[in-house]
Amino acid sequence: MDYARIRIIRAGPLTTIQDAGRPGWLAHGIGASGPMDRGSFDRAGFWLGASGRAGIEFSRNGLSLEIDHGRIVVAGDGGHFGVAINGRRKKWPFRAALKRDDFLEITPGSAGNYGYLRFSGDFELPEVLDSYATNTIAGFGGVEGRSLRPADELTIINPRLRVESRNLSAMPAETGPIRITWGLHADMIPDFVRQGFIERPFLISDKLDRMGVRLDDPTGLFRDFLLRSLISDPVLPGDIQILGDGTPVVLMVDHQPTGGYPRVGTIIGADFDRFAQLRPGTEVRFEPVSVERAQTIRRSIIV
Amino acid sequence: MSAPAPRPDLPLLQPLGDSALLVRFGASLDPAANRAAIGFANVMAKAALPGVIEVVPSLVSVLVRYSWSIISLANLMGEIRLLLSAPKPEQAATITHVAATIFDGEDIADLAVHLEISPAEFIRRHNETALTVLATGFAPGFVYCGFHPEALNVPRRSMVRAKVPAGTVLFAAGQTAITSTPIPTGWHIIGHTAFRNLDLAQTPPTTLRAGDGIRFEVA
Repeated sequence: MDYARIRIIRAGPLTTIQDAGRPGWLAHGIGASGPMDRGSFDRAGFWLGASGRAGIEFSRNGLSLEIDHGRIVVAGDGGHFGVAINGRRKKWPFRAALKRDDFLEITPGSAGNYGYLRFSGDFELPEVLDSYATNTIAGFGGVEGRSLRPADELTIINPRLRVESRNLSAMPAETGPIRITWGLHADMIPDFVRQGFIERPFLISDKLDRMGVRLDDPTGLFRDFLLRSLISDPVLPGDIQILGDGTPVVLMVDHQPTGGYPRVGTIIGADFDRFAQLRPGTEVRFEPVSVERAQTIRRSIIV
Repeated sequence: MSAPAPRPDLPLLQPLGDSALLVRFGASLDPAANRAAIGFANVMAKAALPGVIEVVPSLVSVLVRYSWSIISLANLMGEIRLLLSAPKPEQAATITHVAATIFDGEDIADLAVHLEISPAEFIRRHNETALTVLATGFAPGFVYCGFHPEALNVPRRSMVRAKVPAGTVLFAAGQTAITSTPIPTGWHIIGHTAFRNLDLAQTPPTTLRAGDGIRFEVA
């Protein structure tokens, strides 16, 4: 059997194995997980023509790895990172053929919280419910259900060495408000609070992970308006919950499957990836759209 | 539990983001709303509407995830209203599970004091009522089982414990819960069980279904 093996030399926090996730198990209390920025994960795979199903999601500090055995083609995308192979810098996003003893270093860049590496073959890892995705909250999937760390070795079986040569291009940076649909509990939130939510600025706080992103509320909108807890209902990524102390939290892909905090709104699917990449300190404004409008926006992106 | 006032606006259909909606049968946890949610989730799953990706029963609501490229929100809501207005199917006979439990939980003494009964009497009363699996949620394989009689109702603890192991039997708010993964909890710990609801190597990965019967016994 032909294989390649990579060894992790340096990994920032929240570096995990992800694939398209394991949707469909919410009734068993299991969230879908998967990449925080699905679009970038998919693009990194696209640069290889056809890649392995899973990839590595890394965070702002980047990642270094070494090829221990064999040959492999790799591509990276998501946010804006620095990348060098054996000390020679490349442009981001990138694609490269690597062989034994090659050293790939991804360094912090100018934008984004998450980047992705995809490879020209599948990892030799156990699947959990047909997925390699790491569920960081329940601790399963990926490598022993945990973040990657230095000295971890990953084997890629039957790597392809010829890939389609697709022209690499960076996604134009999208700006503007993050669009939401009003939430389940919008009817129990007074008009002036809803109005405040779309008029006032919020900031991405430094408390963010794969479960959720806490927002700073510099004008104290929710500090002055405390909402009581409710009976638990199912929640989904993008839901904006207001905690008991007034902190807004946007639920992300490793969210708990149910929640009992009031929800103001839900970030639309088309803006979720962009939101996930916003760094701490970034100002964010929300703009309400109808469900139908949200679907039209998404359709225009996909088709 | 006292009967809540009827809500003519229930069940309520509410979009949740741009690719899901929630059908809610109550605003607070009561047995009728829970039964209605579980019953509707079964009807919805059986109907297998094109474009419906996932049906998730919860305590008093049902999450429906759909693909808007196959069914529009308006059409889906129409289909759901039709299903809701159809006669309720006969409830299938349910399975009753037994959770053999060692009642050595560190909060039993406090609970007994709070309820003004002995610890042994608390355990006896706890196991007296045949319970129903109300929902799976909060964490993988975590089940809510209810309802105990009003006389056993105690609120949650004010302090949250950082982590309790899988198989911990918890008690609060008229319910008993079983953990399947290590989780933080504000519920009272009353014991532990060898029963494991979650096995990630199996498909489906959990044993207990919402609506199943469950009895707790002294192991």
